[in-house]
Amino acid sequence: MSSGLASDEVAEDYKNSLEDLTLNSRYEISNLTVIAKENTEHAMAISRVLENHIRTAPPNRKLPALYVLDSVVKNVGTPYTLFLGRNLYQTFMNAYTLVDNQIRKKLDEMLKTWKEPVPGSMDTRPVFPVEITRSIENALIKAKTAAVQQQHQQAKAQQEILHRGRSTATPPMHWRNTPTPPQSSTPFALPYGAHASGVRSGNNSNHNNNNNNNNSNGVTPSYGNHKQYPQQYPPTPLSQPGPYQQPTQTPDTLDTLNNDIANLIDVARAEFATNLYDQGVQTRLKALLDLQSILRSQKLPPEQIKLIRDQVAQLSLSSKPTPIPAPPVIKAPEPPQPPAPQPNGQQLGASLQSLFSSNALAELLASTARAQQKPTPPPVQSAFSTPQPQLPFAQPQVAAAPVPPVATENPLVASLRAAGLLPPANVLSTATPPALPLNPAVFPMPPIAPPTIPLMGTPPTQSATPARAALAEIENDVEMTTASLKIPRPKLISTLYEAQPSQCTSCGRRFPTTEEGRNKKARHLDWHFRVNQRLVDVVKRGQNRSWYLDEMEWINYKENDEGLNDTNSNGTAAAGSAEATSAKSKKDLKNQYIAAPSDPALANVSCPICQERFETVWHDGAQEWVWMDAVRVGGRTYHASCFAEATKDGRGGTPARDATPEPVLGKRKAEDGDLNALRARIKKENIP
Amino acid sequence: MALPGLNLSAATEIAAPVVHEIQKDSEWRFEVAFGSNVEVKLLSGTAEIFGTELAPNQTYTFSGAKAAIYTWHGCRIQVSGTCQVEYTAEETPMVSYANVHFALEKLRRQAAIDGREGPRVMVVGPDNAGKTSLIRTLTGYAAKTGGQPLVVNMDSREGMLGIPGSLTAAAFGTLMDVEEGWGSSPTSGPSPMPVKMPVVYFFGLPSPESNSAMYKSVTTRMALAVTERFSRDVASKETGCFIDTPGILSQGKNNYDILHHIATEFSVNVLLVLGSERLHSDMLRRFDGHRASTDEPISVIKLLKSGGVVDRDEAYMRHMRQTQIREYFFGDNKSTLSPHTQQVDFSQVTIYKIVEPSTILTSLLPGGDEDNDTEPSRGGFHGPPIFEKVEPSLSMQYSILAVTHVAPNSPHEDIRDSSLMGFVYVAEVDEQRKKLRILAPVSGRIPNKALVWGTWPEGFADLVG
Ligand SMILES: [Zn+2]
Ligand SMILES: [Zn+2]
Repeated sequence: MSSGLASDEVAEDYKNSLEDLTLNSRYEISNLTVIAKENTEHAMAISRVLENHIRTAPPNRKLPALYVLDSVVKNVGTPYTLFLGRNLYQTFMNAYTLVDNQIRKKLDEMLKTWKEPVPGSMDTRPVFPVEITRSIENALIKAKTAAVQQQHQQAKAQQEILHRGRSTATPPMHWRNTPTPPQSSTPFALPYGAHASGVRSGNNSNHNNNNNNNNSNGVTPSYGNHKQYPQQYPPTPLSQPGPYQQPTQTPDTLDTLNNDIANLIDVARAEFATNLYDQGVQTRLKALLDLQSILRSQKLPPEQIKLIRDQVAQLSLSSKPTPIPAPPVIKAPEPPQPPAPQPNGQQLGASLQSLFSSNALAELLASTARAQQKPTPPPVQSAFSTPQPQLPFAQPQVAAAPVPPVATENPLVASLRAAGLLPPANVLSTATPPALPLNPAVFPMPPIAPPTIPLMGTPPTQSATPARAALAEIENDVEMTTASLKIPRPKLISTLYEAQPSQCTSCGRRFPTTEEGRNKKARHLDWHFRVNQRLVDVVKRGQNRSWYLDEMEWINYKENDEGLNDTNSNGTAAAGSAEATSAKSKKDLKNQYIAAPSDPALANVSCPICQERFETVWHDGAQEWVWMDAVRVGGRTYHASCFAEATKDGRGGTPARDATPEPVLGKRKAEDGDLNALRARIKKENIP
Repeated sequence: MALPGLNLSAATEIAAPVVHEIQKDSEWRFEVAFGSNVEVKLLSGTAEIFGTELAPNQTYTFSGAKAAIYTWHGCRIQVSGTCQVEYTAEETPMVSYANVHFALEKLRRQAAIDGREGPRVMVVGPDNAGKTSLIRTLTGYAAKTGGQPLVVNMDSREGMLGIPGSLTAAAFGTLMDVEEGWGSSPTSGPSPMPVKMPVVYFFGLPSPESNSAMYKSVTTRMALAVTERFSRDVASKETGCFIDTPGILSQGKNNYDILHHIATEFSVNVLLVLGSERLHSDMLRRFDGHRASTDEPISVIKLLKSGGVVDRDEAYMRHMRQTQIREYFFGDNKSTLSPHTQQVDFSQVTIYKIVEPSTILTSLLPGGDEDNDTEPSRGGFHGPPIFEKVEPSLSMQYSILAVTHVAPNSPHEDIRDSSLMGFVYVAEVDEQRKKLRILAPVSGRIPNKALVWGTWPEGFADLVG
């Protein structure tokens, strides 16, 4: 029930309680949930405190704090989902960046439950809107694929330092002993997740204890739930980083191959980012990453390397949506060109997909896992020298798919066959690739037919720059002449597509994967979220077409990219929340708004304190007409600044609005002046 | 042999969705009748409608549409519902259209370096040459590249973010609505698509020919507003503008001087000519080698008309106008709007009728001068009357009135040059009781402003029951 306290007092209490929360204590988490529930009128303040705490808490205390967040949104729901949802991306990603892999797994699980309705609730909506969770997932996937590559780079660097034969038991460069955690540019610098667990094992066991003796009431199913994804992971003990083998193959062949694979991974990753739920792309990406790690950890006979290399080279050619350096040594077999450019992107896409049917991943994982268990094959020491569980798209159900028996050839070769990277042992190549990529019966796949037309219509260039960087600086040679306009330029088209690989799944808008692009997208998703929330209200409220802006308003109008302006300093702006009695900066008050009433009787009311009318402006972030600097208290509407002033020290008087934002009349006059100037210009020009 | 009671159209409605594979660099063209819906979903690959990309796995609903889904990479789409026409075309002018975008990007980059305005692009061509589709495509690409072009619709036959009869400009920096063409102007509630903020002027006649003097004046005013906007809005300034023109201006030499007027007022420096060889050579003669008022050379470029552009007959156009009017007041299938009807006395409204140029000569009326005593004189210059102040009459029933931003008794030039607040609809005229029934988008008294009655769009009898 209402404590009758000011928000800042409640917030202070809450902050103190949070600071006591060092363990994953169900009792304390429930307690904090109850406090949040009883103080929903201070939800905004509490949410801020909670966010701040999660941000500033040491890594080992972040998880319990996130469990509080989880519990509050599931047990109390709105308005906490609204307030906490707004910054959830930052809150979650910040924490995720700083904690170890054990905790990351728990965060992964938590994230998963946010995509679903609260168990046992009548409300069928997910805990947080899917735009929010999806943006987090998106970021995680990208970070994780980047991390896998980074591991390989680090491992390579490490090898150079340690040389062959030296023990690799020493952890490679890492941040554990430094006071500063890794920065965002290297968020997953910890190559072996388990290295960190030694430090934090105490915490982890505490979690386990709590799990054992809590009396669960079932509402927060994720706490202490240590169910992992065992199917997903190879049984390699995580605490033992597999030793890296110095590759013995001729370096140029292997390097070429590694380059090709790295490029294919780039392409697949970009594709995956745009098409997050496409199983085919996921599978292909996973298979490529696995192939990469297998190649780096195992010795293979040169002829096998060559075989793989040729296949990969063809894949490189065919899957290329962006220019990728062509391996100079490779001579991909080219069949005679058909007279008409029949094979096209679509068909190629289909055959590529079919190469990586969903079973291919299962087969690849299963056979390499078998290889690890079997001590017999000499070249296989450890197929996975790095923990693979970081890959969230290794869905359990995929890994659990039935594993067809494979002949007794080298399991790696078999798995490559399975992934379609090598031709099948006994299936003759057929002219047409199967049309249904997901049909397990078509497994193993026939080899890909060498493409006659690259996907994007351009041959690979000699440029060695990574695809994405190249796109940013593509030469634009189009002239405004009929001849120049006729030449197809797929590379330029890619600036409209592949160069901005991160696509909003609800409206299709694209964003680059730069820092700025990520921020923009996060704001964009936030915008969708807010609009969706308001659309629910508006059904009740009814709406109508607005009058147009007048000329001078239009001339001065600043288009905002959705919500660019209202999520910065002050989260309260978008909330339109009622109670604004706590001490806030004037700017915060000015940014506070409520939806402008459509009822004419209400539209004409003045502020009871200063007797002035409210200024109706279009709010781009909210996508509706609003009254700025307005607050609704007890059924009446005030200027937020007037109200704050009047209630600041208990006086109920009518203080002057010392900070009237824009004297409405004065502004009007100024505009009329502008307008007259404009008119004068027109008259002058009209008179001959 | 027809079986009574067998409803074939109903049977096809529930037919299973069809999946189309569209090869790269081709497009699926489709037409959907008014009153029937076709749903399209992108299953894989990429696809765009007039430069705006479709989101994967979202359902887009089309009604009364003639459009094309183009793919640069190949795609699979799922289509539910019955199209009047549908086929896939491999030959499209999209390569050259996209290249125009990249050429414009180069001009924009240079303009930014020089601190000048980005390219002012005017698109000319006869009716049904695909001018609006080309501008939508170029606008979509510009927005996707991070630009924020101003789009200026100078064709009163079709509305943009407004109803026919209006001339509109708006900035397009955010995603456009693939279902709704140019999208929607703001409503009192939230919108699932970013809304566009237009400035709207009224011409109220179907063709500039009907009153070229008034058309030119409104053009001048629009150009001034756009130029002013450029001076205060860096994003739009760097991107420039696209100007859509009425087809009639490209269909006879008599009207070239109006095209020339638009080009001059907006300092057009790129002229895209669609689909007509003769028009192209005429435009070359008139503009090529000339310089815009900014001293930039004018490029005149001929582009091929898309084979997907179909002739829209008068019945379709009429239907489209009525749809635009209905959507202005009542919203579309995504958001229902609640307009407001009210009774007003004749004395409560001040309505101006656009004077036909032919009648100006015979009219000796002083043009409402007696009402303007308090107004500053028009610089001592009294042009011919532009409007005629009229009493409501039965002939006004079912008409659209434009609500200006100026006071009821403003000088005619001010009324003509005023941007609009919006539109009201005359649902009923009761000459005996001297009362009007008015449908307005916004509740509350109709604003006490000068109202303008044009002949375009034509009356629309069954907008309100
Ligand atoms: Zn979006
Ligand atoms: Zn006030």
